[in-house]
Amino acid sequence: MTAARVDTPQEPPPGGRRFRVSGDQAVRWTLYGGTLVLVVAVAFLVDWERLQSQMFRWDLVQAQFPGIVTQAARNTLIFTAFGFTGGLALGLVVALMRLSSVAPYRWAATVYVDVIRGLPALLLLIFIAFGLPIALGVRIPGTYGRGSVALAIVSSAYIAEVIRAGIEAVPKGQMEAARSLGMSRGQAMRRIVLPQAFRIIIPPMTNELVLLLKDTALISVIGVTDATKELTRFGRDGVVANANATPLVVAGLVYLALTIPMTRLAAYLERRAGASR
Amino acid sequence: MNGRLKWLSPLLIAITLTAVACNNNSDSDYSLVSSDNLTVCTDAPYEPFEFQDESGNWTGFDMDLLSEIASGLDLELDVKVVPFDGIWLLPAAGECDIVGSAMTITPDRQASTLFSDPYFDADQSLLVRAADAGTYDTLASLAERNIAVQTGTTGESYAQDNRPEGSTLISFDEPAAMFLALESGDVDAILQDLPVNGFRSTQDDAFVVTETFPTGEQYGFAVDPANTGLIEAVNEQLSGMRDSGRYDEIFQKWFGS
Repeated sequence: MTAARVDTPQEPPPGGRRFRVSGDQAVRWTLYGGTLVLVVAVAFLVDWERLQSQMFRWDLVQAQFPGIVTQAARNTLIFTAFGFTGGLALGLVVALMRLSSVAPYRWAATVYVDVIRGLPALLLLIFIAFGLPIALGVRIPGTYGRGSVALAIVSSAYIAEVIRAGIEAVPKGQMEAARSLGMSRGQAMRRIVLPQAFRIIIPPMTNELVLLLKDTALISVIGVTDATKELTRFGRDGVVANANATPLVVAGLVYLALTIPMTRLAAYLERRAGASR
Repeated sequence: MNGRLKWLSPLLIAITLTAVACNNNSDSDYSLVSSDNLTVCTDAPYEPFEFQDESGNWTGFDMDLLSEIASGLDLELDVKVVPFDGIWLLPAAGECDIVGSAMTITPDRQASTLFSDPYFDADQSLLVRAADAGTYDTLASLAERNIAVQTGTTGESYAQDNRPEGSTLISFDEPAAMFLALESGDVDAILQDLPVNGFRSTQDDAFVVTETFPTGEQYGFAVDPANTGLIEAVNEQLSGMRDSGRYDEIFQKWFGS
């Protein structure tokens, strides 16, 4: 709908268009031409044979399967699923605390978000995996457990901010109308505000999910067993074992095979949610 | 001469002179990624081989040897820190001139890189918490326990071949995380190069080395297989240092006796 609205006024009057190249069009064609020249130049400069032998050796590509899917991609998805579920639950709580009318809740949530969001995910992973047991004797069992908990904590801070923005984007009148119908604050939040907020935040939430999926690559810093290797570690170990970069390239392709459907699905959900409005 | 092209001749002379000057700069037959520097790829910190002292200067056994070699070749040492996995491929990729990273010479690695003469004998070893020294005195005593190894290292291969039944190998990116994991009780032992474990146990009373495994491993520097001139120059410097006693001085500085 927006596309149609923008395009209409730019349509030139019939007849005049064939003979006149507007300044905009000249710039556009120059850009197309320049890009083409650049692509051709790169294609000629690249040593394709060397590139293939170093980065895409077919026998090594085949050797990555099925392990890279049944083991590495599976682990990446397990970490992502646990991390995102935990992050969503924790993030929702933190977001509601930030919007609470009770001041200490707000303060605690603000400090939490600021600290977690201000630290690199890599450091948080190390603190959670090794700092907690050394300082407090708290040990989260297993690589799956520690990795997922750490990723959940990292993502919760970002997710909390996304959810808060979503809730604040729902017009105040919705809450007031629900309250005037006799719903309690909690009921109105659950039944009226949150469903609308979640529809608004589908795009930024997809972002968080994709970022989280890629952050699973950091887990190898806290140590992984053969069984818990995710995609990046799997690819890097393949590079070492074969003295060739092909396994990393394959790992990259598998990442894309995971993330692109994810973003496409989100785009579909977004369209559907927009249509039902 | 055609008058219109007269301006060309000074330009040509200038270009020729520059080219000659560049050639002169490296009077021997090796190539460098940056002409006045010996650029080293290393996975630091890896005490006592490569790390930075309090004031940020590179030090350690490898770094001391390499800076001697660099100054022998009239070059400045330039250090580039990279992860260890696949480090021996980097000179051929144009990342650096030479790898100096406590790297064991293995036939696998030799297939894709050119090693210098060996400069250090390294065995593998087991590091445990001092409190557990009695319990985990051998590799065999670690059945059903977690053992830390660094990914892509010869220690990892040794552990894979010799670990006791039921033990779990946990592979880490770097020793710093392995020491933290041992400290936190996440693993019960670290299996890696003896000099690294040994140096840590002299710095930190909490850890002790309980077993060593003679493996006949030797460290070497590594360069691009095409850069034979550089490896010859490096080997020449190394043997010069052994003859002059400088090698022994550096060795004693880091490993005593």
